[in-house]
Amino acid sequence: MFVTDIRKEFYDIVVNQRVVLLVSLDIDALCACKILQALFHCDQVQYTLVPVTGWENLGTAFLEHKEQYQYFVLINCGANVDLLETLQPEEDSIFFICDTHRPVDVVNIYNDTQIKLLIKQDDDLGVPSYEDIFHDDEDEDEEGNRDDSGNESDGGAEPSGKRRRFDEAALERRIERQRARREWEARRREILFDYEQYEYHGTSAAMFMFELAWVMTKDTKDMLWWSIIGLTDQWVHDKITHMKYVTDIVALQRHVSRHNHRNEDEENSLSIDCIRISFEYDLRLALYQHWSLYESICNSCYTSCNFKLWSINGQKKLQEFLADMGLPLKQVRQKFNSMDISVKENLREVIEESSNKFGMKDIRVQTFSVHFGFKNRFLASDVVHAAAALLENVEKEECATDNFIKALDCLSRSNIERLHVGIDLAKKKLKAIQQTVASCICTNLLLSQGPFLYCHLLEGTPDVKLFSKPLALSLLCKYLLKAFVCSTRNKRCKVLPLIMAAPRDVDKGTVIVLGIPPESETSDKKNFFGRAFEKAAESTSSRALHDHFDTSIIELKMEDRSKFLDALITLLS
Amino acid sequence: QVTNEAKTEGKSELIPSIKFRHCCLLRNQRCITAYLYDRLLRIRALRWEYGSVLPTTIRFHMCAEEVEWFNQYKKSLASYMRSLGGEEGLDITQDMKPPKSLYIEVRCLKDHGEFEIDDGTVILLKKNSQHFLPRWKCEQLIRQGVLEHVIS
Repeated sequence: MFVTDIRKEFYDIVVNQRVVLLVSLDIDALCACKILQALFHCDQVQYTLVPVTGWENLGTAFLEHKEQYQYFVLINCGANVDLLETLQPEEDSIFFICDTHRPVDVVNIYNDTQIKLLIKQDDDLGVPSYEDIFHDDEDEDEEGNRDDSGNESDGGAEPSGKRRRFDEAALERRIERQRARREWEARRREILFDYEQYEYHGTSAAMFMFELAWVMTKDTKDMLWWSIIGLTDQWVHDKITHMKYVTDIVALQRHVSRHNHRNEDEENSLSIDCIRISFEYDLRLALYQHWSLYESICNSCYTSCNFKLWSINGQKKLQEFLADMGLPLKQVRQKFNSMDISVKENLREVIEESSNKFGMKDIRVQTFSVHFGFKNRFLASDVVHAAAALLENVEKEECATDNFIKALDCLSRSNIERLHVGIDLAKKKLKAIQQTVASCICTNLLLSQGPFLYCHLLEGTPDVKLFSKPLALSLLCKYLLKAFVCSTRNKRCKVLPLIMAAPRDVDKGTVIVLGIPPESETSDKKNFFGRAFEKAAESTSSRALHDHFDTSIIELKMEDRSKFLDALITLLS
Repeated sequence: QVTNEAKTEGKSELIPSIKFRHCCLLRNQRCITAYLYDRLLRIRALRWEYGSVLPTTIRFHMCAEEVEWFNQYKKSLASYMRSLGGEEGLDITQDMKPPKSLYIEVRCLKDHGEFEIDDGTVILLKKNSQHFLPRWKCEQLIRQGVLEHVIS
């Protein structure tokens, strides 16, 4: 059931108990977790934090802790599957689920005792009503039987003519009931199919936790910054529409101005080391303040796809663009912090003007930046890229939970070196993505299979280890689809979704397969591949592992790849 | 005594070498006693670091007399602690540095298995899980290197 008063129904219950936090591996979950941890530290709530990579991991963690703990808080996992059936908990375990995955499973919504959903009951959830899905079976049948038997026993005393009539009437009633029942079941199947067909994401979990903190007036600027990072993560990894992003930014902007409202004048201004958050209408160039402007333009999805930088024409256009802005090449290739002040002064406006001429109307986007100390200035998207790179670091052979701890650490202000390490890793990741996209487009690795586009990364591809992780692979998919749409002339292919496969584990011989919806301006980011993958795997009995919390990401055995794809093609055409 | 013997036997030219050897022996004795005393001081510090039960690896390096000395020290420290703080005594080996908060956040560095705290509840310490626990229960494990105090 949905929690209406966050404070009374969630926080006041757990504040005197010991809780287990089960956190999924994405940046929004990390931010929500940090906010909740800060609140728990204030109130000295004893907790245990366990990172979970997928459903299996969730099950194991639950089994390990169910003896000692009664209250479980799940962050960004658990809403889209019948949780009670998956975990089989005891009667007294209570689950608080704060998850952005939609659609929320109907059993989770209508369970009154054990499952509490920390989700706002927005209008766009479209939950089917109770009567349409759940039916009190036993009453109906008993009624029916009693009716019939009653009539029969009555009819027994009567002469046979009347008895036959009674039997017929009873039979007719039973047939009517069965027909109504069949109709109801068919309608139920239809409603559930429509409801569960598309997978999408709702409001950021970090924003929800921040609201909890705000309701209790325990919110700080750090928590506000974390919720901003959570929201930006959803936008960077293309989980929400641009409209929703802008709406949520406006909501956060209110909080930012509330925090910044101090009587700051000459005498009592804030120390330079204090954290300051400000609203920025900044460029959509990834990491540009920690890199050189040239590198950033080459490796950001938006600019690279619009210029088509994998072709020679594209490179020429880039040179024209830079010349148009009047920026000397030497300046542009230098580290951003070392550029001349005169060049940096009106950089954003200059770039916006020139990019309008070159057909890039949305080079600027609303976002926030944070400022503390003399040297430390970060945009929200910088932190998202850095944390994601740390979370999926494949350079050293470390397990997922080690990386989780590192990424969690880099979000605190006292661990700036970690954040810088993350930024370096993110730069490498973006360059790798760019090169892979360029090679895929130039060698035509992206093939149309009919109802969708398909691309398979071979094992020998450089940096292919990076793409065995879901977040990195989804970024690559997004860029590749955008680049393809910009470069192809085939009108039909422009509206096709993309499925991508990359090697996941060479020893076990598995690939990770991911599907994203078609690229369009007004896309609502609803993904139907979850159900499609399930059905295709079932019908071909391929050895597939639906372990990830996003149902559109699965792990498949290499050998089953072709029959799986064929099944998908027949399913979707 | 040896010098007197030398004098009586008329070999007085040996006296300087005897004296020299005697000085060397005295010096060696001083070095050895300094070494043994330093060992005792370290063993005393071990009681404060590891608690009343020493790990077997350390006990392996101590001789029987040193173990005996350690036990005696333990006893006198325990009787001193009992005499402080009213009836129950005061455990002064806790909180070596002034604590900043009642509960601390710790991160588990290795798989330690189950760990019981005061009210009987058991916590599973698995690698890379983080916990928020009362300070006094964690100090031991932090010193042993199983848990790491997280400052954020």
